[in-house]
Amino acid sequence: MTYFECNLHTLPDGSDSPSRMALAARKLGYSGIIITNHNATVPPFGSDGARLAGGIEVVFGAEIVAADQRAVHSRAASLRNKVAFIAVHGGDEKINRAACEDPNVDMLAHPQGGRAGIGVAAARAARDNQVAICLDLGPMIRLRGGGRVRWMEAVKRDLDLVRKFDLHLMISTGAASHLDLRSPREAMALASLLGVERDRALDALALPRSILDLNRRMWASVGVEVL
Amino acid sequence: MEAEGRIRAVDLTREVRSAQTSLFGDLGAAKNRLRIISFDGRFGLLRCSHDRTEECRALLATVHSVGGTRAAIRVRGISGTIKAATEKYIPQSTLQPDENERRVDLGLVSGSVVRVHGREIDLAPDDQKITEGSGTRYVGLTSFDLCGEDIDADGTSDGL
Repeated sequence: MTYFECNLHTLPDGSDSPSRMALAARKLGYSGIIITNHNATVPPFGSDGARLAGGIEVVFGAEIVAADQRAVHSRAASLRNKVAFIAVHGGDEKINRAACEDPNVDMLAHPQGGRAGIGVAAARAARDNQVAICLDLGPMIRLRGGGRVRWMEAVKRDLDLVRKFDLHLMISTGAASHLDLRSPREAMALASLLGVERDRALDALALPRSILDLNRRMWASVGVEVL
Repeated sequence: MEAEGRIRAVDLTREVRSAQTSLFGDLGAAKNRLRIISFDGRFGLLRCSHDRTEECRALLATVHSVGGTRAAIRVRGISGTIKAATEKYIPQSTLQPDENERRVDLGLVSGSVVRVHGREIDLAPDDQKITEGSGTRYVGLTSFDLCGEDIDADGTSDGL
């Protein structure tokens, strides 16, 4: 089984270098990690070290932080050919909707950040554009009490929509340090408390792999591949 | 246990208890029957109800700091008896903190080495702002970042 951790932040967004994150993830049983920093620089900091880490695939993606819908679309279009994986920093209702409506986007990260969630219209768009919804376990780990209760309510709403529209689901810890990482089994145990069945959680942890494979092929236009 | 500093057993007990009641409430806590049997600062032994191991795994995963120090609990394995768990999962040697202060400067981040474990390096950054986003005290690096393909004076290739 291949497990991927799909929404990690390394220096300067987080406090670890990519290679440290890679070693920690390898130790926990991941076969690959995707680093989605907010300001994707080229080349990314520590990419040489990450290549030397070995035994684990380290992919540099990007996470789009945008103030409005137009910025989401333009950033996604410009990044599409530069990085293998594009996430959008969700949380705001409008940004969530814009991300789901953009076929260039691979994943909507933490849509429940601002307690907004995805909503029916965005869920329908996400199905049509094949945008995966990321279940970010970070708040479950960090928060306690009322904050976590409200977050769980938003997550429950979203997971119902994910099930109803049969959306792609990913699971991540959104780690910014190796101490934030959790093993695939721990992620599955946390997700099962939120109502994600074991099979679904397994698929969610393996999904980034198949999306990366798709993205690495050369697409001339929608549905047309250069061989 | 992976942590940025020394963890006391008392603090760990308190943190696990609070994570447990926060996630499952008193009723769930009674059903888990999670207890800390021993903890030596790095490795510990917990006991729980045998049919609720996944619940316990989840609640241990929600521990993110212990006594104000950033930490993470890693489950090494599960055994049926305390004896088997001790023999299988608790190693006898422990990690020593790095004593001779060594400096690292990578441009984006610079600081002094706090701890070295295999290829992993914990760095106390000069500029504390760099770790603000993640709430950690140290920056996690590896010897690969220090780019050590050359052999150093101490016979290793860790770039230090």
